[in-house]
Amino acid sequence: MDSAATSFSSSTPSPVDYIVLLILRPIAAISFVFVFIALGWLLAWKLVLVHVPLVQEIFGLRKKPAKFKPQTRRISRYYNSINTRNSSAPGSGYPPVLVQCCHSSSIAIIKPNYSRVAISHLWSSLEPPSNRIRLLCSTFSQAMAPPAQSSRNPSPSQPSGKGEVSDLRSQLRQLAGSRAPGVDDAKRELFKKVISYMTIGIDVSSLFGEMVMCSVTPDIVLKKMCYLYVGNYAKVNPDLALLTINFLQRDCKDQDPMIRGLALRSLSSLRVANLVEYLVGPLGSGLKDNNAYVRTVAVMGALKLYHISASTCLDADFPAVLKHLMLNDSESQVVANCLSALQEIWNSESSTSEEAAREKEGLISKPFIYYLLNRLREFNEWGQCLVLELVAKYVPSDTNENFDIMNLLEDRLQHANGAVVLATIKVFLQLTLSMADVHQEVYERIKAPLLTLVSSGSPEQSYAVLSHLHLLVMRAPYLFTSDYKHFYCQYNEPSYVKKLKLEMLTAVANESNTYEIVTELCEYAANVYVAIARESIRAVGKIALQQYDVNAIVDRLLQFLEMEKDYVTAEALVLVKDLLRKYPQWSHDCIAVVGNISSKNVQEPKAKAALIWMLGEYAQDMDDAPYILESLAENWEDDAPEVRLHLLTAIMKCFFRRPPETQKALGIALAAGLSDFHQDVHDRALFYYRLLQYDVSSAERVVNPPKQAVSVFADTQSNEIKDRIFDEFNSLSIVYQKPSYMFTDKDHRGPFEFSDEIDNLTVGVESEHVVAATSVDANETSDLLLSTSEKEETRAMVANGSDYTAPFYDSSTPALPSQGQSELAITGLLGTADPGPQASTAIDDLLMGLDLTAPPAPASAPPPLKLNARAALDAGSFQRTWRELPVAISQECELGSQGAAALTSPQALLHHMQGNSIQCIASGGQSPNFKFFFFAQKAYEPSVFLVECKINTSTTKAQLNIKAEDQSTSHEFLALFQSALSRFGLS
Amino acid sequence: MPVAASAIYFLNLRGDVLINRLYRDDVGGNMVDAFRMHIMQTKELGTCPVRQIGGCSFFYMRISNVYIVIVVSSNANVACAFKFVVEAVALFKSYFGGAFDEDAIRNNFVLIYELLDEIMDFGYPQNLSPEILKLYITQEGVRSPFSSKQALDKPVPNATLQVTGAVGWRREGLAYKKNEVFLDIVESVNLLMSSKGSVLRCDVTGKILMKCFLSGMPDLKLGLNDKIGLEKESQLKNRPTKSGKTIELDDVTFHQCVNLTRFNSEKTVSFVPPDGEFELMKYRITEGVNLPFRVLPTIKELGRTRMEVNVKVKSVFGAKMFALGVVIKIPVPKQTAKTSFQVTSGRAKYNASIDCLVWKIRKFPGQTEPTLSAEIELISTIAEKKSWTRPPIQMEFQVPMFTASGLRVRFLKVWEKSGYNTVEWVRYITKAGSYEVRC
Repeated sequence: MDSAATSFSSSTPSPVDYIVLLILRPIAAISFVFVFIALGWLLAWKLVLVHVPLVQEIFGLRKKPAKFKPQTRRISRYYNSINTRNSSAPGSGYPPVLVQCCHSSSIAIIKPNYSRVAISHLWSSLEPPSNRIRLLCSTFSQAMAPPAQSSRNPSPSQPSGKGEVSDLRSQLRQLAGSRAPGVDDAKRELFKKVISYMTIGIDVSSLFGEMVMCSVTPDIVLKKMCYLYVGNYAKVNPDLALLTINFLQRDCKDQDPMIRGLALRSLSSLRVANLVEYLVGPLGSGLKDNNAYVRTVAVMGALKLYHISASTCLDADFPAVLKHLMLNDSESQVVANCLSALQEIWNSESSTSEEAAREKEGLISKPFIYYLLNRLREFNEWGQCLVLELVAKYVPSDTNENFDIMNLLEDRLQHANGAVVLATIKVFLQLTLSMADVHQEVYERIKAPLLTLVSSGSPEQSYAVLSHLHLLVMRAPYLFTSDYKHFYCQYNEPSYVKKLKLEMLTAVANESNTYEIVTELCEYAANVYVAIARESIRAVGKIALQQYDVNAIVDRLLQFLEMEKDYVTAEALVLVKDLLRKYPQWSHDCIAVVGNISSKNVQEPKAKAALIWMLGEYAQDMDDAPYILESLAENWEDDAPEVRLHLLTAIMKCFFRRPPETQKALGIALAAGLSDFHQDVHDRALFYYRLLQYDVSSAERVVNPPKQAVSVFADTQSNEIKDRIFDEFNSLSIVYQKPSYMFTDKDHRGPFEFSDEIDNLTVGVESEHVVAATSVDANETSDLLLSTSEKEETRAMVANGSDYTAPFYDSSTPALPSQGQSELAITGLLGTADPGPQASTAIDDLLMGLDLTAPPAPASAPPPLKLNARAALDAGSFQRTWRELPVAISQECELGSQGAAALTSPQALLHHMQGNSIQCIASGGQSPNFKFFFFAQKAYEPSVFLVECKINTSTTKAQLNIKAEDQSTSHEFLALFQSALSRFGLS
Repeated sequence: MPVAASAIYFLNLRGDVLINRLYRDDVGGNMVDAFRMHIMQTKELGTCPVRQIGGCSFFYMRISNVYIVIVVSSNANVACAFKFVVEAVALFKSYFGGAFDEDAIRNNFVLIYELLDEIMDFGYPQNLSPEILKLYITQEGVRSPFSSKQALDKPVPNATLQVTGAVGWRREGLAYKKNEVFLDIVESVNLLMSSKGSVLRCDVTGKILMKCFLSGMPDLKLGLNDKIGLEKESQLKNRPTKSGKTIELDDVTFHQCVNLTRFNSEKTVSFVPPDGEFELMKYRITEGVNLPFRVLPTIKELGRTRMEVNVKVKSVFGAKMFALGVVIKIPVPKQTAKTSFQVTSGRAKYNASIDCLVWKIRKFPGQTEPTLSAEIELISTIAEKKSWTRPPIQMEFQVPMFTASGLRVRFLKVWEKSGYNTVEWVRYITKAGSYEVRC
């Protein structure tokens, strides 16, 4: 029953059971599962996910912006403090992205630099929307976070802000007095900012006072920054620099040798002449300091003092102190600095003082050199360079001494520093100059270290070494013949290295290795870099000219001609020409190939000239030579003057070989030549013309003498110069391949000098044209000197000249196509001024007197000069004319004090000169130096005058350089210009 | 005078000044502008690292994205100047922890100014050794270690010696728990091979890099299997030279710590090493170089628009060894339109920006010869006839535990007063220098 009852109850469950079964249990099960899942997620979230950057970005969890650079806590602390103070300028401390973000989320930001365009650009560039969300999230979360990145990267392109500077000033003022903890860090950041502005070129010298006020600090880093600042601006602020003397002098007595040294260095770097009196005392004690660091600094300080004020340095007897230190100090760095300082001081003193000269000699005396050599190992690498440089000047008394020194120094060749190795090599070479056999052995010995240096290090370093190796190879190529493989170029090497290597390959070629070298060079001819390809072809040619066995090389050259690349053909043509001059026996092979080259494919003047030379020289072997020449002559104007000269000669030569065919070409060429505006071409044409007039057979003797093969081509550099360069081993001379006086002396320097006015020229004239112009000046001055003496000679010649001009009207030469035309051409030519050098103009002037059609000689009764009030000239043609014309007059004149006073800006003078019909094309400069380019035009003629005018208002002088198309009236123009200039400021 | 630099500038690629330091007044005007105008903005850039403008000479070097320019007005020593720049950059790198580029300079410019003051005074190079400079140039603003109060009465001779002195490369009083020495022999093979397979030029430049973690002032002695050293040794010990491979070193240069006098007399490399990493020696070998790879290219131009390239690369080192990171760059003409290839190992693709087929093999076992065969279709152009100059095939690789020269370290002995034991680790690696095969 009981069991029945239970079975019944189980078979008919109550509604409660149903509810439990159907609803509660599933709910319990599901919630059970969900609890587990949730727990799992919670754990995952807490432990892992919150640390995943992506998740952080999506959920905006990131509190701190991504660290762009590792930074110390100090800086962020500083920025926090700065930020609370700077709440008036929100956004200035945010990185660019943040500011952009703020724009889009319409928070007002006073920062115009970052435009909406930028954010929209950034926005649209992020294609997947998820990225956009991420961008928004990250930027937003960053914007919410405290900014860690301030404007610590001031971009140099940032405009110099006066606002920033005054901002800095107020902050510096705040900090100057405060002694709060952490103020040093704040100061550091400010100083950093100041120095970064200084580096960019923003003038922060106005902060000088504040900086000095802030500099009283125990913090050494701050001190250094302050010293740097002071050193930079003391020169422009000599009065304020006085303020720093006090604290610098105090620092010089600091107990910390580091600070003593630093202060001394800054003190001596102030470079203010009237403060040197404060320098002498600290320097004196610095030289006696018991700390080596201070002494090294003091030694250099003495040298700096010498450069500021030589007399003060000498009066304080510093050289003697330095000498004492040099001989006795235990620290090698002190000794090295003493050595360099004394070398400099005595070098410049030796010209005036005998004692200094004696001391200078003393430096390379035996005891002193031995003293240095014995201590050589103590020196660091730079000190060793210095010592070795000095040893190279020493002349030992006998050969044993020579060998002793060399044995002592031999291990230096293994030094890792290339400079030391080169310095040692110099010593070796100098010591053995008089011993030929040992000298040669030295070459063998130094070969390996040099080659190692070449193959290691950066290209620049190996270039420096390679230049020296180049010099040695050039001096003794036969010693390097077996090493030619080291001079093979690598594909990726920079071209300056390749160029040197090519030259060396050329030099070391001999019978045994020519084949390999030429094969290698031919590989380079296909190089991508045209310059190198050219060089290598030239190298092949040079080798051909050196060797006796040219068979194979000629074939190669001829292959070049067939490569059908313009530059290869051009170079090869020049080479074939040289080759033919030396080995005429090859003419047959060469001419066959050269004949196939169309002159239209050759554009370069040199190559074209070479081709024309061959056409003239071997006219009898080339059937169509006269016709090619004729077509060239017809396009006379297309070619460079160099080519035209060659063309004239070639046609003459051709004429004597094949007269009937060439007659026409000769006629065209002579006519064109006579009317040529280039002086040399004109002269040569005239010369040929008169020669033909005089006697045809003697003309042939002149133009077509039996040719002799050239055996040796002239070397470009004299032996004397080469020796001089060799003496300056291990210096710039080697790299430039010219002795030092050529590039360090003022006289030999290029015409270009740095001058601010060049940069400041406002209109039109680009600086490079100015450079060109000044270079013309430099040449002109020498030409002017020449012209007077040459005039004498030319006058004598022209006295006979009438014979020559007379037959001009003779039509005995059938070749001249139109007599009248050429006559016109001649007179036209004589009428206009010539761009050629002065001397030739002189001839023209004199010729002019003889020619009836020419205008009267300029010296007689000059007509009053009138200028065109509305002259016009554009900048381009100004530059062209300026370059073409020689300087007619170069003169200095007084401006007058009123004029100088009135000249506050270039514009003032411009208007004044305009009133006098003289226009300005370019002006520039700042007080007291101004520079102007003027031009003026004659009233009824197109002829113009160009003036370069440099005015110094402090000396009230004006330097004028006048160029004139019509030379004859240039003096009148000068008078006119001067009077106009002198009236300036009076009205 | 060795350098006497008048000024030193750091510029970025656009020509903005990052750092400028004027040492002397003998150069006037604004040198940076001159440099920008006459070198950076013209085609002159890269044609020559030494240039004269006006009366001044400019030495410039590009290091990553920075130009370092030294201006001199006298007849200066070029090699010294360039070496100075290289050393200075190494110094900066050791301060910044690796990178030397525009960003690093901008972030550390104050430090750079400090260093520039220390390493050069009035244009003369001073001490450039990082070990020493780090003692007293710090950004922490602490007073220099040898200047604390007690230094007043007795100057610390050691510290001053380090700042200026001769044993500039090692500090005293170093202590390590574990004394270890790591030797890395890194060789780079330079090869120029003609298309016919003959070696035009081949040399190995090797360097031995050392990483020392040794206590005290240890004295080290290194023995290599070079010919001269072995001969000398056998001479000294009256033993016949051991048979086996000896290497003839063409030229050796050593770190300044190596006692050169002893090297010259006994031909042993003995030295007191600086702490940490340094380059112990460099050498060059031209004779008896084992080339790790041979490249056999055949390039056929089939008509004007098609080319066929077959390259076989043979590894000739031991079968158990393998090369890593092998990259073979096979040049193709500019007007390449389409390429298709088959390779037996690795992966190849056409890189249009450098006009090369780049064939990469990550792991290249010894004694194997994978091949690449490619067909290239060209765009036919009339203008550029015969303009392809066939640049050489270039190769990059690293072969661990292999030296192209055959150089081996025979022993490395360490002596120290305390007589501790040291652990020495030696690694060899051969890399490609400029490994070029003409085709």
